[in-house]
Amino acid sequence: MTLARAVTCPSCGGSIEVRAAGYTVTLACRYCGSVLDVAHEDVRLITAYKRANANFAIELGTRGTLFDVEWEAIGALRRRSPGAIWQEYLLFNPYAGYRWLVVADGEWQFGTMLLHRPDGAGASIEWRGKTYQLDDDATVETTTVLGEFYWRVSRGDRVQCATFARGSSFLSREAATDEVTWTHLVPVDRRQVEEAFAVRQRYKPRAGLKAIPDGFFKAPGTGENDLPMMFLMALGALLMIGIVQDLMSRPHLCANNRFDVVVGAATATHKIGTIEVTRPWQFVTIQADSNDFSNRWVDLDYSLVNRRTQQSIDAYGIVEYYTGSDSDGPWTEGSHHGETQFAGVPRGSYDVYVDTGSHGWPTDPPANATDPDHPWSAPDSISMWFNACTGGHSWGMFWIFAILLFGAPCLILWRRHRD
Amino acid sequence: MESVNCPSCEALLPLRDPGLPYSTCNYCQSLVRRRDGAAEVVGTVASLPLDVSPIQIGTTFALDGNSAVAVGRVRWGWQDGSWNEWFLRADDGRHYWLGEAMGMYMLTSEYPAVLAVPAIKNFADGNPFALGATVKAGGKWLEATDVKEASCLGSEGDLPFATLPGRTMTNVDFRNANGDALSVQRDDDGTTAWLGRWSDLAGLQPKNLRRIEGWTMPGTLA
Repeated sequence: MTLARAVTCPSCGGSIEVRAAGYTVTLACRYCGSVLDVAHEDVRLITAYKRANANFAIELGTRGTLFDVEWEAIGALRRRSPGAIWQEYLLFNPYAGYRWLVVADGEWQFGTMLLHRPDGAGASIEWRGKTYQLDDDATVETTTVLGEFYWRVSRGDRVQCATFARGSSFLSREAATDEVTWTHLVPVDRRQVEEAFAVRQRYKPRAGLKAIPDGFFKAPGTGENDLPMMFLMALGALLMIGIVQDLMSRPHLCANNRFDVVVGAATATHKIGTIEVTRPWQFVTIQADSNDFSNRWVDLDYSLVNRRTQQSIDAYGIVEYYTGSDSDGPWTEGSHHGETQFAGVPRGSYDVYVDTGSHGWPTDPPANATDPDHPWSAPDSISMWFNACTGGHSWGMFWIFAILLFGAPCLILWRRHRD
Repeated sequence: MESVNCPSCEALLPLRDPGLPYSTCNYCQSLVRRRDGAAEVVGTVASLPLDVSPIQIGTTFALDGNSAVAVGRVRWGWQDGSWNEWFLRADDGRHYWLGEAMGMYMLTSEYPAVLAVPAIKNFADGNPFALGATVKAGGKWLEATDVKEASCLGSEGDLPFATLPGRTMTNVDFRNANGDALSVQRDDDGTTAWLGRWSDLAGLQPKNLRRIEGWTMPGTLA
């Protein structure tokens, strides 16, 4: 004869075993999560739920040996206080009674209910001749219930919980409406629990990825609320990267100039000015702005010529703007602004040159066309303003960081949403 | 051990404590009352619901240098659960109740003196008892932590009262920080008070515990 009592869930019809028969009064169905009253022979539905939350580190029914006693995990709670979220497992052995396994942030504690309660009140209490200091006092809410319990339990239960600490050992005082219970909690080695109770893989820090801190993975007990934290941290890190990028790009030493570029004329070389790169390596950014034009483009071949070595660093830019009209109506393309960036310019003094060449689209206007009626009119030309500055930073790099930082939490969010 | 035959089914009824008036027949669930050497059936007891209690009739305990044996059990049910109370007979003839709750044990022996306390006298007169009230018993202050209306769910073995279905009682549990326990029970027969302490199973030094399938008895308790 097996000593588990079999009951049928009135909500989902699932067959469930009551392991601590005779003691258990509340059972949350392992299939649908519905909370059942099993205190009496006829099972009564207290609250119906559609889905059991199986998101616990230890599967209920698992047995493991801790402190030389074999325990069966028969109940699991997910609880939270304003500052933390954790999981609690009710352990049972018919000869030894009940114990608790509590896990928060990947740290496990083994709890025993006290028959001899501590003395004193307030910030410090005395128990077995030792003083414990108040560590935390908060309202604790039960958010998830699974398995069986020897008292009435339901989602949303709230108790006032005060914790007193002495080294790594804690005394926890829980005051519900009509009773006070005291629990003594001692730390248990994580590996010991993992081994004893076959802790689910996803709740274990992965071996082999030592470079990634344990906290990166979902430690049991950290629950759902670590995600907002991850997003916040990613945002913070990105902000820091932005600030560092900006600071690293300083100082901004600039040279500027203005030239007219004749459309259709041969390429002309202009000197924008001289700039000083004062850091070992620095970005140089050249902004080009033009007056209003349309259906023209200006090729810009930049050269930074080191005054000492006469070596040149080249880059290319373009300013182009087109308008037209087709079956969809009028359209425009391009911009009157262009930006060109030199990455990693070594320290030194540079002359900044630009070769300009402008052309019309679809064809160049006639070169040096002179209207016989207006012989004094200027040739078709574009005014260009150049501003060359040291500094500036790579937005591409910034966005790559953003993707790397937000990728992981987004992936986790998606995975959990799917669960 | 003396025995009588169940007047209903003729099965042998071992008398674990000849001083006790009631026995539950293990075979036909008849409640047998013994008086002046005669045995009569006074009713039928409900079968005990399945449980995983480690205690059985015949389990012995070492109590204050005295040895006691479990001779009977009554199971009480209340709104939010149920619990066992084992009736123990010690070698010196004293009786104890051993209540099971939350995997813990409340061991008490009769302590009539506390019935003279006005608050308890008032309760014995049929009035409700206030949670949180404190009384002094055996030189200890205890606080009322629990008041339950309970009804009898069944029984086995030898007991001091009839455990027929429909029997109800009101139970007030008192406790304090030192693990002392006081239980005051009021029913149709009157009010009794039991004083003792909370303990875990090992603290009672039990022998002849029940073998529970699927579980290994810890070596220290075997």
